[in-house]
Amino acid sequence: MRASTLLSESLAVLGKELTAELRSRVALNAVGLFGLTTLIAVAYQIGPYRIQEQDRPHLLAALLWVILFFAATSGLSRVFVKEEDAHTAKTLRLAARPLAVFAGKFLFNLILLAALYAFIVPLYCALMGYAVQGVASLALLLACGAVALSATSTMVAAIISRASGSTTLFAILSVPLVLPLLVMLIQGTRAAAGSTTIAAVLPALQGVVSLGGATLVISVYLFPVVWHD
Amino acid sequence: MSAVSVEFKGVSKRFGNRSVLAAVSGTLQRGRVLVVAGPNGAGKSTLLNILAGLLRPSRGEVVYRDGDAPLARTHWFEHLGMAAPDMAVYEELSALENLRFFARLRGLHLEDPTLQELLDGLGLPPREHTRTVGTYSSGMRQRVKLAQAILHEPPVLLLDEPSSNLDEAGHGVVADLVARFRELAAVAVATNDPREMTWADARIDLAL
Amino acid sequence: MTKTRLRAVLQWALGVWFVLVILAAFFYAPSASGFKGESARIVFFHVPQAWVAVLAFCVNLVASLRYLRTRNPIDDARAAAAARLGLVFSLLATVTGSLFANVMWNSFWNWDPREVSIVILLLIYAAYFALREAIPDEERRGSLSAAYAVLAFVTMPFLVFVVPRIYWSLHPDTIIGATGQLKLQMESRMLQVLLGSLVGFTGLFSWLYTLEVRLARARLARRGREEV
Repeated sequence: MRASTLLSESLAVLGKELTAELRSRVALNAVGLFGLTTLIAVAYQIGPYRIQEQDRPHLLAALLWVILFFAATSGLSRVFVKEEDAHTAKTLRLAARPLAVFAGKFLFNLILLAALYAFIVPLYCALMGYAVQGVASLALLLACGAVALSATSTMVAAIISRASGSTTLFAILSVPLVLPLLVMLIQGTRAAAGSTTIAAVLPALQGVVSLGGATLVISVYLFPVVWHD
Repeated sequence: MSAVSVEFKGVSKRFGNRSVLAAVSGTLQRGRVLVVAGPNGAGKSTLLNILAGLLRPSRGEVVYRDGDAPLARTHWFEHLGMAAPDMAVYEELSALENLRFFARLRGLHLEDPTLQELLDGLGLPPREHTRTVGTYSSGMRQRVKLAQAILHEPPVLLLDEPSSNLDEAGHGVVADLVARFRELAAVAVATNDPREMTWADARIDLAL
Repeated sequence: MTKTRLRAVLQWALGVWFVLVILAAFFYAPSASGFKGESARIVFFHVPQAWVAVLAFCVNLVASLRYLRTRNPIDDARAAAAARLGLVFSLLATVTGSLFANVMWNSFWNWDPREVSIVILLLIYAAYFALREAIPDEERRGSLSAAYAVLAFVTMPFLVFVVPRIYWSLHPDTIIGATGQLKLQMESRMLQVLLGSLVGFTGLFSWLYTLEVRLARARLARRGREEV
């Protein structure tokens, strides 16, 4: 009976997150401003002309992901930390199935990341003079990257929200898990910038999709444990 | 509403080297209010958390039965309503939005008038229903917390210091609520308030 | 033979074995061509250390999964013991690898994919212990760190297989083959020593691991007696 309502429950959690976020805008401000500040610092100090022509593909792809990753880190852990801080975690724990909570929070983080990417990436390309050949491949890569990063960070956020000193722990715990993803995403971005064909980004894309998929699958099994202990 | 009973045997809990509960046993069943009394730090909240399945006991066990059939731990929460000082509702949402959210999570289709009636019954004036909980006084928050706990008419109701932050009128509201649920559900109340001790059909006294 | 006697004999055997492996590494195995000086001899210690670091990671995973099922504190102690040893051995592998890199390529650190892999493994272990220290409640500590261990394990195949394949690597091919440019042909005497050392290091790991687990068991038993 309840299985049919899992989607509705997940959407209820997502809806609650969105409503609360639109009213407080804490995560949105943190992520947006952090992203903008680093972008401006990078663009002002480095700009389109300071990088040697032969270094551009490497450096521009890496810098983009450094900005995107650190901006996201400031906001993604909030989905669970704020529930513990506001003492709503226990209320939620007794009212909802773990899977609905995970799905709702995962989707919220995904939307947050998508908003961040949509805001920062075009600005970055404009300010840094980053000419991307394969716009479609880059969009695809960003989408898959957002799914994988959202899955990992939602799980890590759930784990650290139950420990003391949460915010610093989030960085410590998520960095080793996210590094392989970032390496693949940077490599893929470089490939997308240099070629219009999807085939160029395929190796990176496969890596990102399979790591993201594996993380999602394992999360479904692990999340109830993390959430209830 | 089905009759769910909760039996707990030899429940102990340690946090590190500190023993909080030592071998507590008892039963919750419909028609009887169990009062858990004792000074601060005696483990009243810990016991209620263990009964709710939020904490695992170090020793002993808790069994939920629906009729005669035991219920798996993962399904306890569906039969359970709980209000406690550390169980807040969402400050960014209004009372009504909070209740809509919790109703949806529990797969209930409750119309707004029903929810407003519930809030009215607990003494939250209608003009407050659509304001965000962040603007409420602590007594008004307590009423929303209680509404959240009984929203789905649970067969097991756990109330941890239900009258905290409430005035005289609020205390009366809780007394009515306990009287109503005595007939409907298995109720446990953790309290220090001598007036609330009189609700007890059974009583567990925890010592430090 | 009693258990204690057997242990003593095994410990002595391990000691003798290691002396033999060390002697063989320097005097029995021929020097490898294609490497500067005698630098290749470090392989006899570096590879087994890396192997034990990965083995410890696997033992940690198994113990973590068991803990999530049984909630037996000894399984949590097992997971922590394996992680502690894994941390030590991945540090050792990093240091020996770095020494070799300095001799071969005149730089202690080249951000080679293999180096990145071992550093991430180190970071995972460090994060694992940072998490454990931040959770006072024992049972929650056990289950959350177990969950993190399982989550971290998912990224391992990507570190070992996928990332080195996307990136070009200086690292000599040994057991795990991505296609590097330096094909290492193992001479049979070298292979013997390497295998001998692998056995030795695995033995060392199991000895240290059993010691830690026995210690944890004794602690749990003492606490159990105090409780009653």
